[in-house]
Amino acid sequence: MASFQLSVNNKSFSVEAEPDMPLLWVLRDMLDLTGTKFGCGVSACGACTVLINDHAMRSCQVSVKAAAGQTITTIEGLSEDGTHPVQKAWEKVAVPQCGYCQTGQMMTVVGLLKQNKRPTEEEIDAVMSQNLCRCGTYHRIKEAVHQVIEEINK
Amino acid sequence: MKKVSIDRRRFIKLSTLSGGGLMIGFMLPGLPSFGQTIPDCEFFQPNALIRISKNGEVTIFVARQEMGQGVNTSLPMIVADELEADWKKVKTEIAPYGSMANGAHDTGGSQSVLTDYTTLRKAGAVAKAMLVAAAAKQWNISPDKCAADNGTVVNTTNMKTISYGELVCVAATLPVPAEVTLKSPKDFKLIGKEQKKSNLKDILTGKAKFGIDLKVPGMVYASIERCPVLGGKLVSVNDSEAKEVAGFIKVVTYEGTGKPMHVRPGVAVIATSFWAAEQARDLLKIKWDVGQGYKANTVELFNTMAVRSKQPAAIEKFKKGTVNPIKIASQNSHIAEYKEPFLAHATMEPVNFIAQVKGDNCEMWGGLQLPDWTVNQVAADCGFKKENIKVNLAMIGGGFGRRLHFEFAIEAVKIAKQLDTAVKVIWNRKDDIRFQGYRPANYHRLEASWSKSGELQTWYHHVLSTSIAVMTDGPQTPDPSENQGGAMADFYYKVPNVKTGYTNVDFNINRGWLRSVEICMNSFPVESFIDEVARKMKKDPLAFRLSLLDGREMFLVGEGPGAMKQYPQRIANVLKLAAEKIGYDRPRKKNHFIGVATHSFIFAKSYAAHAIEIELLGPKNFRIKRVVAAIDCGIVINPDGLKNQMEGGLAFALQQALKGEITIQNGKVDQSGFHNYQLLRYNEMPPVEIYTIASEEEPGGVGEVGLPTVAPALCNALAAAGYRPRSLPLKNEGFSWG
Ligand code: FES
Ligand code: FES
Repeated sequence: MASFQLSVNNKSFSVEAEPDMPLLWVLRDMLDLTGTKFGCGVSACGACTVLINDHAMRSCQVSVKAAAGQTITTIEGLSEDGTHPVQKAWEKVAVPQCGYCQTGQMMTVVGLLKQNKRPTEEEIDAVMSQNLCRCGTYHRIKEAVHQVIEEINK
Repeated sequence: MKKVSIDRRRFIKLSTLSGGGLMIGFMLPGLPSFGQTIPDCEFFQPNALIRISKNGEVTIFVARQEMGQGVNTSLPMIVADELEADWKKVKTEIAPYGSMANGAHDTGGSQSVLTDYTTLRKAGAVAKAMLVAAAAKQWNISPDKCAADNGTVVNTTNMKTISYGELVCVAATLPVPAEVTLKSPKDFKLIGKEQKKSNLKDILTGKAKFGIDLKVPGMVYASIERCPVLGGKLVSVNDSEAKEVAGFIKVVTYEGTGKPMHVRPGVAVIATSFWAAEQARDLLKIKWDVGQGYKANTVELFNTMAVRSKQPAAIEKFKKGTVNPIKIASQNSHIAEYKEPFLAHATMEPVNFIAQVKGDNCEMWGGLQLPDWTVNQVAADCGFKKENIKVNLAMIGGGFGRRLHFEFAIEAVKIAKQLDTAVKVIWNRKDDIRFQGYRPANYHRLEASWSKSGELQTWYHHVLSTSIAVMTDGPQTPDPSENQGGAMADFYYKVPNVKTGYTNVDFNINRGWLRSVEICMNSFPVESFIDEVARKMKKDPLAFRLSLLDGREMFLVGEGPGAMKQYPQRIANVLKLAAEKIGYDRPRKKNHFIGVATHSFIFAKSYAAHAIEIELLGPKNFRIKRVVAAIDCGIVINPDGLKNQMEGGLAFALQQALKGEITIQNGKVDQSGFHNYQLLRYNEMPPVEIYTIASEEEPGGVGEVGLPTVAPALCNALAAAGYRPRSLPLKNEGFSWG
């Protein structure tokens, strides 16, 4: 066990954990930030996506040791009350079905747009195709992504 | 040959037919009896479904399990409409387990809306009548001078209003009316209008709690190594290395069970975190005795089915007129065989469950589609009195039938019995894909013949599959073909001579219900074969279908109170609508092809058709350009929820058509994650349009009706392009798509 300082959603936390424990489990089980979801644990679904230094990352693949000292944002820190442009578009289009994959979907989009405000269709496809949704909300995700892009480039 | 009458889906038997369903006027214990004034009353709760508080907030309790299908919105809408509630002030909550009659929480078979529709309306109407009576009492006027509207009661003489919140204390003292009048559907205010999911905001902010997010004080975590072959036994386990992992608590073993759930024997690592449990689990050294089960092999299974399909079926399902076997197809007859693999549910929320045992008492937390059966079985398998088992239901991150099974609950309790704290068992993705009740593998032989003048004369369908009922009931099941039958008494095409039969081919893997179950299994062969026959007869596949449906009268399927109505005309109507919207009659672009398929989801009183347009990009390489779905599900409660289910159903069914497949070798499942059990991806979702037939029929269920016609419509489009896939998934047939 070792002690790590984490900066999550602009708050500082000190956690005792094995250095290779994935950030995913630290967030969920130690910090009670359960909006970040476990879907596969092997970087195959995107349910666990968070922002690390403004990049969308799979928190199941980032050890607590690597995460320490970085700026981490989870869905809970994306906005105070669900008013981030991505959340607003998701709300307007009514994307979710069960909702389980959606926080990961939104964080992936946020990460994508932080890097590039006007991604091409191919870039969107390449990124979003790595996030799975078993309920099949892709049709609406596509619509919502396009709405956000339009909104933030107004 | 054994003869079996039409089967109904098991969950319908378990809930509605067993006298379950919701009860109105059902008083919660602890509330004062009527006629008494309630000092400091905080709320009015006329039944287990509705609570109205002094501030006007209306809480509607949802008994059916929310798992993405939208019951936490559609069911409250039905209540709120009759209640004349202000939808903005409506909150929804999971109805506590035990607050309703048996069967009320059972969720499956697309049954929630159609089963509860009238009961929910009555519950809302009862509350409204009491609020109106309360206002009348307050104003000292006759109740017929009052009207309810948008969370208030209006004095229709002077147009004064009083809010529901202000009436709760008086309403709570009034008797519950025995009779209420329901609204005329033309007066519906919420039903039929798009509403967003009631928990949308919580989902978007990460606040929504699924079963996997729950915590119980003192809880520890478990990860389980299960016997890789069904029917095996644990020989020994060495945990000396596992013990070294920080956070390791101990190893707990338990034996498997047989029917109905077939829990595999397991070795559970208990640890302070799931991560630690997983790490330690990897270090276990376990010896299993796999028994005879290692012989199971899907390649052999399909070979056996192919041979067996040519022989008479073991069980006759339906017979009309005379159908003689056709050995070799001629100019006036056709034979084709189809096959579909085992499939996994692969819900996004991995299976998980929390259990705690304190002496004779057991408490459980998690999502369950059939909680009553779970309680009964946990009582039987783990040695508890039913009344000592407490259930806390949780929201489910995708059901699709996965949680109609509950082997995970039995497992968790078996582990909790050996611990003095609560334990949360999480299945990792590998566990999820490798161990579950799979959609049965199935194989079909169809034969048809027609007269020289082109009239279809005979239709024969032999369904072979690995029975679900044999797993849940044991080999002595009264009907191994339950949930598996082919075209049966409900066969909708007009053919004078029809014969269908079923043969169970056993196989050592557990089977369960996957979204659309047998309807999906049978629509692919039936709707492909009718297309093949049309093409062989040189008829247009759409016109040919319509000639066998249009004008055909409603007929009853089955007998007595359980009889179901089959409407060939509604099957024709959705097909016509889908064909019209895709422009079936318009000239097509070069290399563009359209396929259609239609069906009735008779158990859910819904009808749907798909028309799919593809572009052939090269040999066996295609792109889906457009998908049009048409649905008739009677009165639509929430049009947005309906669309969601149809869009999602398309994605789910496309995965099955294109790439879904579970294979088994030496008794072990080959697939182990999303890398080899691939789901549909964002870039594979085609443009989709949903069209609904306006109807005043009672509402039907929509959770499954959007799947069955997807694979046949796609395969019929490929047939138009010169291919005729008869085996799913298409990836195995050399197809690629982009
Ligand atoms: S849980 Fe991290 S990608 Fe699936
Ligand atoms: S909304 Fe259910 S998995 Fe995406």
